[in-house]
Amino acid sequence: MLRIKNLNKTFHNKKILNTISLDIQPKEIAIFLGESGVGKSTLLRILANLDIPESGAFELNGNTITPKELNKKNLVGMVFQNFNLFEHMTVLQNISFILEKVAKKSKKESKKIGLDLLKQYGLIEKKDSYPLSLSGGQKQRLSIARTLALNPQIICFDEPTSSLDPYLTNFIADIIKKIAQQNHIVLIATHDIALLDKLQATIYLIKNGNIIEKAKTEAFKNDQDKYPNIKNFILGHRPRLNKPRLNRPHPKSTAGE
Amino acid sequence: MINITLIWQSLPALLHGTLITLKIAAYGTLIGFSLGTLLGVAQTSKNKLVRLLISLYTTIIRGTPMLFQIIIFVYIIPLPISELSAAIWAIGINSSAYICEIVRGGILAIPKGQHEAAHVLGLSPWQTYRYIIIPQAFRTLLPSFGNEFITLIKDSSLASIVGVMELFKEGTIVISQHYDAISIYAIVGLIYLVLTSIVSIVINYIQSRVNHATH
Repeated sequence: MLRIKNLNKTFHNKKILNTISLDIQPKEIAIFLGESGVGKSTLLRILANLDIPESGAFELNGNTITPKELNKKNLVGMVFQNFNLFEHMTVLQNISFILEKVAKKSKKESKKIGLDLLKQYGLIEKKDSYPLSLSGGQKQRLSIARTLALNPQIICFDEPTSSLDPYLTNFIADIIKKIAQQNHIVLIATHDIALLDKLQATIYLIKNGNIIEKAKTEAFKNDQDKYPNIKNFILGHRPRLNKPRLNRPHPKSTAGE
Repeated sequence: MINITLIWQSLPALLHGTLITLKIAAYGTLIGFSLGTLLGVAQTSKNKLVRLLISLYTTIIRGTPMLFQIIIFVYIIPLPISELSAAIWAIGINSSAYICEIVRGGILAIPKGQHEAAHVLGLSPWQTYRYIIIPQAFRTLLPSFGNEFITLIKDSSLASIVGVMELFKEGTIVISQHYDAISIYAIVGLIYLVLTSIVSIVINYIQSRVNHATH
């Protein structure tokens, strides 16, 4: 279990995370929902040792641990919003290189594990291509495969579907489900409500650095009125086909006034 | 008019000078490249004192003429090395200041996400620079390095001022013997042009290969 206790982070005099505490079990998916800039990505970045909190403590499986140790022991992985693949390496090298240098595996073994992961993620035909030639969905899958290479217990997804079309969102949701089933602790920062329909997860709605509402997706679906804030957030983000056009004056008609 | 016979006769001397010119440019680039890369990487460090000292170094080197630096290295600092070696060091150190700035710019141009991905994946800072940042920076900097090498081929002529027998100096000596400046300067200029063109073509070729490979 991952336990986060009293996490605080201020950035440019703005409270990004305000005494956040929560527990996440293995196989559990935690979705941090909120508008851009409410601190949901910061939470993931602190866990991945990319940002330093002012205060707060972490426990993993009952043991106190710092993000630095999580990072050093490869216990946490991160799938970035814009993938951050190593552009100068082939698809296979993106994975095998990490196994060689970080997990200190032999060249042969690293290649074998890399090829297995590429097979699993439908990228085997692209093994000698460079990331630049991949589609958005393929980049996403490579990014996930690279993160899984070191088998971290905690996996963070930062806006995993922001650059994908709806079909790929389904696909990624399936991958995330599978990852969670393999006993990983999964954290997702997103404002994409499509993911809520597709995953069985715990939703944490974040606003101004606070968790203002928490709900299991099942419980929320059964009784939406019990969770008015999440409901409102979803209503505000549901795509509307017949969205009324804003009645703005034509720019030309106001020119010179 | 151009005296072909004279050019033909002086060709061995001029080619000898060409070899020295290439030697100066090659060693100069090697020194400039190694030192410049080291300084360029250090220039991106968080240590303010390191950054300040390197800024001071590049400001002084880039702000004074190379000719002046060559003279200081050969005549002012009592180094127990030949004029040729001293000139090579002066030119290499001069080049390092420019390469430092090129490398610094190249490293800063690599997106922050690459550092972050490397960090989360557990690479050490050294591994991150060695395997992720520098290789990517160098790809984009290849044309700048090529330009620097071309500049050094031309600037190596400044070593003639301290008596190094490179291409330009050899040409000057032939002229002083035969009083035919036009023919000799024409061939000397042509040799410089051929050298720089070859380097230019090679760099373009490597660049296109690198671009082709990653697309």
